[in-house]
Amino acid sequence: MAAASVASQAQAVLRGRLCNPGFVHSALRSSPDTNYSKLKYLVASSVSEACNNSVLLLGPRGCGKAAVVDMVLDDLKKEHPDAISVIRLNGMLHSDDNCAMKEIARQLCLEHQLSFSKMASSDDNTEFMIDMLRECGLAHKTILFVLEEFDLFAQGKQRLLYSLLDAMQSLTSQAVVIGVSCRLDADQLLEKRVRSRFSHRKLLFVPSPLDDIQRLVEHLLVLTKDSGLPAQYITDYNSRLTNIFIDNKFKGCLNSLMDADATTSNILRFLFRAVSYMNMESGFLSMECFQKALSSMQRQPKTDSLQDLSILELYILVCMHRLEDKEQSSYNFTSIMKEYRSIQDAYKTSDKYSSTVCFRAFEHLLDRELISFGDNRGRNQALEYRSVKLLISSRELAQSLKLNTTCPAVLQKLLDRERYM
Amino acid sequence: MDLAATPSRSKSRPRSSSAKTVAASIESQMDLCTPTKPMPRRKSKSAASPAPMSPATPSTVRRSRRLLETPTKAAPDVPVKATPTPTSRGKRAAPSPRTPALREPTRQRRQPRKRAYYRKVVYDGGEFEVGDDVYVKRREAAESDAEDPDEECRVCFRTGGGVMVECDACLGGFHLRCVRPPLRRVPEGDWACPYCEAERAGNVVERPRPPEGKHIVRTAKEKLLSSDLWAARIESLWREPDGIFWAKVRWYIIPEETAAGRQPHNLRRELYRTNDLADIEMETILRHCSIMCPKDFRDANDGGDDVFYCEYEYDIHWHNFKRLTDIDDEPETKEDPCDEPYNAGDDYNSDTDEDSEYDKEEEPKSGFSARWNHSHELAANSRKGRMYGLQKIGIRKIPEHVRCHQKTELEKAKATLLLATLPKSLPCRDKEMEEISTFVKDAICNDQCLGRCLYIHGVPGTGKTMSVLAVMRRLRSEFDSGTLRPYCFIEINGLKLASPENIYKVVYEQLSGHRVGWKKALHYLTEHFSGGTKIGKQANQPLILLIDELDLLLTRNQSVLYNILDWPTRPNSNLVIIGIANTMDLPEKLLPRISSRMGIQRLCFGPYNYRQLQEIITSRLKGIDAFEEQAIEFASRKVAAMSGDARRALEICRRAAEFADYRVKQSGQAIFSANKGEGVVCMGDIESAIQEVFQAPHIQVMKSCPKFGKVILVAMVHELYKSGLGEVMFDKLASTVISWCHANRELLPGHDTLVKICCKLGESKVILCEEGSKHKLQKLQLNYPSDDVTFALKESPDLPWLSKYL
Repeated sequence: MAAASVASQAQAVLRGRLCNPGFVHSALRSSPDTNYSKLKYLVASSVSEACNNSVLLLGPRGCGKAAVVDMVLDDLKKEHPDAISVIRLNGMLHSDDNCAMKEIARQLCLEHQLSFSKMASSDDNTEFMIDMLRECGLAHKTILFVLEEFDLFAQGKQRLLYSLLDAMQSLTSQAVVIGVSCRLDADQLLEKRVRSRFSHRKLLFVPSPLDDIQRLVEHLLVLTKDSGLPAQYITDYNSRLTNIFIDNKFKGCLNSLMDADATTSNILRFLFRAVSYMNMESGFLSMECFQKALSSMQRQPKTDSLQDLSILELYILVCMHRLEDKEQSSYNFTSIMKEYRSIQDAYKTSDKYSSTVCFRAFEHLLDRELISFGDNRGRNQALEYRSVKLLISSRELAQSLKLNTTCPAVLQKLLDRERYM
Repeated sequence: MDLAATPSRSKSRPRSSSAKTVAASIESQMDLCTPTKPMPRRKSKSAASPAPMSPATPSTVRRSRRLLETPTKAAPDVPVKATPTPTSRGKRAAPSPRTPALREPTRQRRQPRKRAYYRKVVYDGGEFEVGDDVYVKRREAAESDAEDPDEECRVCFRTGGGVMVECDACLGGFHLRCVRPPLRRVPEGDWACPYCEAERAGNVVERPRPPEGKHIVRTAKEKLLSSDLWAARIESLWREPDGIFWAKVRWYIIPEETAAGRQPHNLRRELYRTNDLADIEMETILRHCSIMCPKDFRDANDGGDDVFYCEYEYDIHWHNFKRLTDIDDEPETKEDPCDEPYNAGDDYNSDTDEDSEYDKEEEPKSGFSARWNHSHELAANSRKGRMYGLQKIGIRKIPEHVRCHQKTELEKAKATLLLATLPKSLPCRDKEMEEISTFVKDAICNDQCLGRCLYIHGVPGTGKTMSVLAVMRRLRSEFDSGTLRPYCFIEINGLKLASPENIYKVVYEQLSGHRVGWKKALHYLTEHFSGGTKIGKQANQPLILLIDELDLLLTRNQSVLYNILDWPTRPNSNLVIIGIANTMDLPEKLLPRISSRMGIQRLCFGPYNYRQLQEIITSRLKGIDAFEEQAIEFASRKVAAMSGDARRALEICRRAAEFADYRVKQSGQAIFSANKGEGVVCMGDIESAIQEVFQAPHIQVMKSCPKFGKVILVAMVHELYKSGLGEVMFDKLASTVISWCHANRELLPGHDTLVKICCKLGESKVILCEEGSKHKLQKLQLNYPSDDVTFALKESPDLPWLSKYL
């Protein structure tokens, strides 16, 4: 019982670490050549030298762009407690210019304890923003604009970006615009005059290489002395963990995970699962935890859903596949039924169902999105007559038939015959 | 929206000639008086200043007080000639009470019922003008304020006799010869006397004591800095009905008296301007001193002893600091100050508590704001409330890094390369500026300016707006010197208008100061320009309307542009329009009736060539040794080849300077000696800056893709090459990938994993793809040329077999 409580305690500690972006990325703080230190230098120098800057953080999702921004802002807020105010906008929410201006005004008011009126027009809000930029500049205060999903701001006339960047062309203002986007060509989306005002600083975030990931995993999972757990447990736990780390199986696990997706967030997800599979009896992480986690990460939802289809549904899929193999590009439920009937007539199986039952199975397949309608036209047509398409490849189908123990042999033959004929 | 710079009318907010009796103002000061440091000082003063002075020295010296400018209604541009005071004396005497005999003449001249305001007063031998900085007596000092001694040497205690140098630490004066070792000339930069040096080193030193019997006479400066005197700036001068002269002054404050106390970076001679105003009698004013902004202070090397430094404004209510802007230094002219009827401010007495929370100067004249309190504050972002609360923003303590930081060459270079820094000269656009200025001048001087419209076009960053504004600044200075007729100038940016129609509203507001709906504004404006009812005060002056980003005013039926461009063609419209846009053929794209009104006079701003860019950069970097010569040339050649955008070129140089600075800072401050060679922007920095600007980062992203991502990209190139089509179906792609993996003994990826990877690549736009729910039927396209993929993935260490498919 005691072991279990220690184990759950350890699990809680590990989960807390995995969910804390500050802890995950804390390794960045020490080394000089990371995006963290570059961004920090950039923002800190524009705070201390009273200049305007704009920077774009690019990189695929899950590489820690937002986390780095947060860390930099936290650090700077500690260094200059009074002199920084942060305005956060998200392209998903504020891509409309007027609404974005209002949000900026609201957050500025909030930061400086001013009262805010919802009724103010967007002109007023714009003017207010420009006034505030000036006043804050005079008071040596920097306003940081963090625009997440930056590419979504670059739609339409880009009035917001223009007025933001144009306001920054004056000496008194002191502001930094940080755009975060996963589109690599985000700066190409800007209009000419906006792009000309944008100071093209770009920081690229890419998934880290394998060594870094290994170091990260160690950093996250190895327990330290100050985690409040019994010392004996910690040493036992850590020695087991190091044994796992040098195991080739573990390396293979990590490799196959990173073959698909090497971003930090993916690794974190993997580790979280592994920690959740922790054996509560012994209270230690074992190889099985990682393997289980990996297999749950690598699940193939389409193939999985093929596994538990009924025989009739499999028949329908095979029929559709046969039709496609016959180069029949457009087919619908009635043509599928024709094929089905012909198969039943030829092989005389026990799986002969009436047309209404087949239609039920057909609808079920539609719901699971294993098949879909070919086009959006003819929406008001009856379902039977709309053309449909198979969404799974023949390979997946064959695999699932092989794995399905209840599948009649004739079905597999039908599919195979087709291939080798 | 940019304010219109209307040179014909002073832009200054009318100084609050607030209707407040002196007593009321004093009371409000005292009511407010929270137990903070600066307040007791004010209280003691306000109690002291109106007190009658000791009638000790009844006019042994003749005193002169004369009005230079009689209270007239004269327009502000009537030059005020300072006639020399007939009774000039060498040394000032003690400010004794006014002698009734001498007050007589002024009384005879005029018996004012009300207060009369003046811009310049000669009082007690000194000439005081609105806007002057003066010393103000704090109390009836035991030590006579009369003597205004010259500074004594701290070693020999004698005045005069050669050049003296001031210690930057203790502000004591020293003869060059008295310092040990003696100095030949005044040293450059900061200098501390030997005593201070020793004290700084931690030694106990004995400063030379004055000879017996002689006490050190403190100068006014010393008294001020030890808060025995005040400094203030005169905001207005007037004479009460009883003939006593009063002044409204704005106090300066020494750092010790602020809430933050003296901060380590404060200079010895630093003062803060406050937002605290008070009315004082002219009696208490001692004499002039000069309080300068940082730039003047730096230039004034030997300005004497009464020079002070003021960079910040201190808010006495919120106890915070704010930099002073240059705007306050603009010449202010009061509009007919004298015959403004004076309403005794009874209603002010009732609620001074609330209203003194706010900066009095910024109070609008409308009366309602006086009854102001916290329960229903106006929102800061609404129009009426904009003024309020902004003074809260100031910083509690001036951050040290702003003041103490010695800028390195690189940092200086970065600062001057900022887009915001206004360059001292605008090279390479002389011809265009000449053309603009002749156009504008023609239009202004010509009474019948008909159909005047100039269309300026050019790619972004070629200095269009900047040139026009520079011309307007030059014209304004010409106007100030009196060689040009008065005119109005309104600047509008099309992208900053919420909708094209709003332009009427904005123009009308700038002309009249009122806000109306756009339809009404259009009506009024049309009337104004077609010679009907005129708006505003300067109705007859020519109006210059600068419309930036003109193409944004296009509406579906182009009525906004038509209306605006139609105004200049009306007789007596007195309107000149300068339109700026990027596209060359904007007039041709418009309806013929508009293009015929606009397209007559055009000016093209071509992209800069590399010599011009180089000149622009070097002219900014003059005197700063931070860039290699070739580096600048390389950058300007590169930009000129790409776009000819000056902003771009400046940004690249600044970015390169940042790289160099980063490198220097990372390598550690320890190597100070190596700083010289290392702290210079070299070709490598420029190269990486250019790369950052011009190169899409896709190659790096492709290189760092997960393994299957790389396989997918190569398979795509392969498939596209094989089929010769622009796009590939996912089904096909997946089977290729799987067969490759099978052949090369990799783990086989599942279809769903592949779909996921494709979607991820599609999200970062390395490839273009349809949504993932289409699964097998998804169509994929490469977003970058296939050569880039080949280049990026040719030698990937983890997939050596991949190159054989390329």
